[in-house]
Amino acid sequence: MAGNKGRGRAAYTFNIEAVGFGRGEKLPDVVLKPPPLFPDTDYKPVPLKAGEGEDYMLALKQELRETMKRMPYYMETPEEKQDIERYSKRYMKVYKEEWIPDWRRLPREMMPRKKCKKGPKSEKAKDTGKGASLANTADVLKKIEELEKRGDGEKSDEENEEKEGSKEKSKEGDEEEDDDAAEQEEYDEEEQEEENDYINSYFEDGDDFGADSDDNMDEATY
Amino acid sequence: MTQAEIKLCSLLLQEHFGEIVEKIGVHLIRTGSQPLRVIAHDTGTSLDQVKKALCVLIQHNLVIYQVHKRGVVEYEAQCSRVLRMLRYPRYIYTAKTLYSDTGELIVEELLLNGKMTMSAVVKKVADRLTETMEDGKTMDYAEVSNTFVRLADTHFVQRCPWVPATENSDPGPPPPAPILVISEKDMYLVPKLSLIGKGKRRRSSDEDAAGEPKAKRPKHSTDNKEPIPDDGIYWQANLDRFHQHFRDQAIVSAVANRMDQTSSEIVRTMLRMSEITTPSTAPFTQPLSSNEIFRSLPVGYNISKQVLDQYLTLLADDPLEFVGKSGDSGGGMYVINLHKALGSLATATLESVVQERFGSRCARIFRLVLQKKHLEQKQVEDFAMIPAKEAKDMLYKMLSGNFISLQEIPKTPDHAPSRTFYLYTVNILSAARMLLHRCYKSIANLIERRQFETKENKRLLEKSQRVEAIIASMQATGAEEAQLQEIEEMITAPERQQLETLKRNVNKLDASEIQVDETIFLLESYIESTMKRQ
Repeated sequence: MAGNKGRGRAAYTFNIEAVGFGRGEKLPDVVLKPPPLFPDTDYKPVPLKAGEGEDYMLALKQELRETMKRMPYYMETPEEKQDIERYSKRYMKVYKEEWIPDWRRLPREMMPRKKCKKGPKSEKAKDTGKGASLANTADVLKKIEELEKRGDGEKSDEENEEKEGSKEKSKEGDEEEDDDAAEQEEYDEEEQEEENDYINSYFEDGDDFGADSDDNMDEATY
Repeated sequence: MTQAEIKLCSLLLQEHFGEIVEKIGVHLIRTGSQPLRVIAHDTGTSLDQVKKALCVLIQHNLVIYQVHKRGVVEYEAQCSRVLRMLRYPRYIYTAKTLYSDTGELIVEELLLNGKMTMSAVVKKVADRLTETMEDGKTMDYAEVSNTFVRLADTHFVQRCPWVPATENSDPGPPPPAPILVISEKDMYLVPKLSLIGKGKRRRSSDEDAAGEPKAKRPKHSTDNKEPIPDDGIYWQANLDRFHQHFRDQAIVSAVANRMDQTSSEIVRTMLRMSEITTPSTAPFTQPLSSNEIFRSLPVGYNISKQVLDQYLTLLADDPLEFVGKSGDSGGGMYVINLHKALGSLATATLESVVQERFGSRCARIFRLVLQKKHLEQKQVEDFAMIPAKEAKDMLYKMLSGNFISLQEIPKTPDHAPSRTFYLYTVNILSAARMLLHRCYKSIANLIERRQFETKENKRLLEKSQRVEAIIASMQATGAEEAQLQEIEEMITAPERQQLETLKRNVNKLDASEIQVDETIFLLESYIESTMKRQ
């Protein structure tokens, strides 16, 4: 326990000479705030290494950055709806290949699953086989390939809608249909559809016809 | 994981995989091992997105999963592996120097995709190489396969752990997650494939042009339907082997700087001979006899045996102790002290940092304290021949920067300050850790600044990209010079200047990132080597 706290001048408990300050010398100021965010440097930094290898690595780095953004592993954040739909947005979308992981190497819970549809929606269920086959994305792929091979013409409404719905999402007809994304989007589409007979996919994004002009059937539907 | 590391991981994940993956990844790094539902709940993202993000992260070897009791699968992120993403350009460039363009592209594809089967890699690389070749020429699959086999033989690529083939008589429900196994001897075993084919050139009509809706691409349906011969056998880049190579490079160039070219060649030969016999974490290589070294020298070097012996003696006597003599049989047995070499490199890095940050007199004091291990204040002034006031000032500057620390030696059991020695010393391990932490912070700052610069000029960048695209399409359709000129003038001169400045700044920031990563590599190797020995 320290005895006398020192009335008057403070006395050091140790020999101040030992740490290099002379007796009675003015001690440096006590620092009362954190160091500055951008401190001044006394010396300028050494220039960067320059050479063939460094240049090549720099170019590689920048290329890799761009390439990564285009790979299917880059998950875009879904944007909020903008107030004005830009016409050019439709044509500036980046078309990515889809990627299907090897499900054998992953835990079973990773596979996307569809919640079972209840009530009238289940009647609208596009195929009877859809519920089961969706658990296995490979089946979905085969099914869609079959559908496309069948060509235009006599298709049932449901198949048409499924095909068009998935075509909507990948307009340019990528070889591989999406796995999760399409299912998710298809699912959302089904979720959102009202209980009427209009097929949502007839109206593309950016066309604000359908919502307003149900009464006025002069406009052609596509 | 320190805050600096977490911040850097967050920036890297965001740049390479987007925000959703970043959120999940950082959450896992922060909280450790977690099951799926907890992740979804804590991060507030939907289950589907969490699943997708985890698939991406597992594919890239950034997250591993483990099955715990009661069938719960927990996911754990590997922070150090995320930080390796900074080093991808270096890995790819190294592959280029060793195995030329083919090797470079193989490693690049493996790094970009995390894991791939050999057939997929070969096909993709052949296609890419064909694109760059002249019209009419294609790259044969066999050549790419050969390079792949060479990479596997020298351990630069390795097989990923695989699902063991279970007998079908296994009763009960399938496990919630496959247990992946790997055996040492199978890790570099290349499957016997007969890949026959040539690379395909993409038709020019398939290339993207901004704003053009693409026609329906012909499906690669035939390829997809064929059974893949090496299905389930995935390969990944073996980062440890690359690290070993970088370490060897660093040692060789250190010897070259300190002595001369010939001694560095001798050291390089010794390291090459020990590549396969010595594990990368050993403190020193297997002893090599002088005769063996003489036989293994590269063909161009015709130095006599005696000269070689003289060089080896010189190397062994050098105070840096990169090479040590361990015996006399076979003309002298020599080893390379890997751990000591890494220590010297780390120390040199510290000295250099002190010099550039505080000045050469500070550096002199630092080297003095390093050499003498423990010094009192008075002794420092005397040995360094620097006036007391300045010496004191410098010592305290370095002390507050944590390069130097104080060691108390009490004379009496009550540790009274007046009867205690205070000695200055350098603890290399803790100073290296401090510097490493600072490096992480630096790179995070560099990345943030680069993103800021790019965001500031986003409008201008987009405009210039559009103009370039227009010019390119006009040139393709054959336009006059005057029209091209007109389009180019859409970007005004001050805007051009701004773009130039932006490009220069971004290049500088990128180059700085690459260089700081080299320092990180040295320090991390040293710290790892020291921790293994304790």
